[in-house]
Amino acid sequence: MRRLLLALALLLAASPAGAEKLASTVSTPNVQITSSFDGATLSLFGTIEPDTPGIPLAGPYNIIVVITGPLQDRVARLKTNNFGIWTNTEQQSFKQFPSFYEVIASGKLENVASPEVLEAEHIPPVDQAQLTAVGGDTPTALRFGNELVRLMTEEGHFEVTEDGVRFLSDTAYVAQLTLPSDVANGPFLAHTLVLKDKQLVAERTEGFSVRKTGFENFVFVASRQQPLLYGLVCVALALGTGWLAGVVFKR
Amino acid sequence: MQIYLPIAELSMNLFFLIGVGGAVGFLSGLFGVGGGFLLTPLLIFSGVPSAVAVASVTGQVAAASTSGALSYYRRGGIDLHLAMYLILSSTIGAMAGVATFAALRAAGQFDLFVSASYLLLLGFVGTLMMIEAMRTFLRRRRGIMIPDKLPSQHNWMHGLPMRIRFKKSRLYISVLPVLGIGLFIGWVGALLGIGGGFILVPALVYLLRVPGNVVVGTSLLQVVAMMCVTTILQALTSQSVDIVLAFSLMVGGTVGAQFGASAGKYLRGDQLRALLALLVLAVAIRFGLTLVLPPSDPFSMAIAAAGAAS
Repeated sequence: MRRLLLALALLLAASPAGAEKLASTVSTPNVQITSSFDGATLSLFGTIEPDTPGIPLAGPYNIIVVITGPLQDRVARLKTNNFGIWTNTEQQSFKQFPSFYEVIASGKLENVASPEVLEAEHIPPVDQAQLTAVGGDTPTALRFGNELVRLMTEEGHFEVTEDGVRFLSDTAYVAQLTLPSDVANGPFLAHTLVLKDKQLVAERTEGFSVRKTGFENFVFVASRQQPLLYGLVCVALALGTGWLAGVVFKR
Repeated sequence: MQIYLPIAELSMNLFFLIGVGGAVGFLSGLFGVGGGFLLTPLLIFSGVPSAVAVASVTGQVAAASTSGALSYYRRGGIDLHLAMYLILSSTIGAMAGVATFAALRAAGQFDLFVSASYLLLLGFVGTLMMIEAMRTFLRRRRGIMIPDKLPSQHNWMHGLPMRIRFKKSRLYISVLPVLGIGLFIGWVGALLGIGGGFILVPALVYLLRVPGNVVVGTSLLQVVAMMCVTTILQALTSQSVDIVLAFSLMVGGTVGAQFGASAGKYLRGDQLRALLALLVLAVAIRFGLTLVLPPSDPFSMAIAAAGAAS
C-alpha cells in the first residue's frame, strides 16, 4: 500500500514535467498454467512518443522495466551452533515481500539512471527487503534482507538483467521476461521507466496475471472450497490404485 | 516430461516422480513399512514445499500399502482382529498428534523437533533391530536351528488384565499394550508425517510376540488405515495435499510394492530385519548429521503466509 501510494505520487509528479510519454504493452496479459506448464516467456514492448504531437524527440533514451510478482509474507532464518547442535535461532519477517522481482534495463543500472532515481524508485532488489522488513530499518533487517535477496536470486526469483532491453529504433524497445516454472500465481506488475540523461522522463505501469486454467484450476479450487470431499477423493484414489495394482499383479 | 502440480505450484518431471514412488514402493512391499520416512525427505530435497510433501506422501503411502496389504491378505498374512484394535487406537492417537503438531508449530522450532525425534526414534529402533538380527544371524551360522516362529516366552506385558485371544497370531494377551502401541503410533505418525510401520513391526514382534508370518501384513493394514485418516485430516487443515503429485507417486508406488512383496518371499525373516535396520539407521544418521554438521547455508527462508496483493 505504501509503495502504491509512493508510485502514484511519483506518477503525478512526473507527468506534467515530461515532454515524452510512453505507450507500452505486454505480449501475454494472461499467462495460463496448464498441465504441461514449464515456465513462460513474455515480451514487454513499447514506444516513446512526444507528449504533444509534432515535436521531435531528442534521445538517446534508456529503459528500465521492473517486474514485481504477487506479494507474500516471508521469514529469513539464521542457523547457529548451540552446544553442538545447529538450530534456527534468529529470524526476521518481511511483510508483503514480492515472490518475484526482475529488473530489466537497457544498460548498466548506474549508467542508465542517477543514484537518486534508483533510490526514489526502489529499483535495486535489496530495497524490496528494506521496504518490507518488519520492525523497520534495523541492522538485523539489513543483514537478513541481503541474505533473503541472495536466496531468492539463487532460486531464480530475483534477477537484474542489465542488457535485457533491446532498442528496435531510437524510440521503440522490446524486453524479454522469462518466468520460472515454479512462479507464484497471481497478479504481476510491470513498471516501465524511460530515462534521459539518467533522469526519469516518463513511466507507465502495466499488469498481467499468472493463473491456473482448466483441470489445474479445478483441482486447486476444489482443495480450497471442498476440502473434505477433496480428501475423500484422494483416499478413494489411493485405495483404488492400490487395489488395481493388486488385481493386475495377481497371478 | 514435465507435469504441473497445482497445489505445489511448480512443475516436475513425471518419470522422476513415478521412479521415486516405485523405488520407495518396492521397499514398502518388502519390509511392510510405509516408506514415508524416505519419500518425504526425498521430495523436499527435490524442491517440493515441505507442507505439500508431507501431506501428499500420506496418499502415496496409503496406495502402496494397500496393494502390499492385499497381497499379504491373499496369503493369509493379516490378523484382522489385532489390526482392528490397532486401527481404532491409532486413529485417536492421530487426532492427538494433529493437536500437538499445531502447538509445536506455534511454539517454533518444529524442524528441530522433527530432526531430533527422527534421530532418537529411528536410531533406537534401528539399533535394537540390528542387534537382534545379528544375534539370530550368528546363531544360525553356528548351526543352531531356530524355529521361524519366535519362542512364545512371556514378558511382563502378558501379565496385564483384560486378556483377549487373537487366534490368527496364536496370542492370548492383554488388550492394554495393543491399544497403547496403537495410540503411540498414531500420535507419532501424525506428528512426523509417517505411517509408523518401522516402529510398529518391531513393536509387534518384540513386545507382543506376534508371529513373523502375520506381522508385516497386519502392520501394512494398519498403515493404510492411518494414512487414509491422515490424508483427510491434512486436506481439511493444511489444504496442501497435491492430488496430481500423490497420484504420480501412487502409480510408481503400487507397482513397486508388488515387486517388493514378491521379493520378500525369497528372504529370511532375520535378513529382512537386518536390511530394514540398516535402512532405518541410515536415515537416522542422515538426520543426526543435519543437526551436528555445519549447514551449507546458515540462512534459510520460508513463506509465512501468502498475502493478498496490496
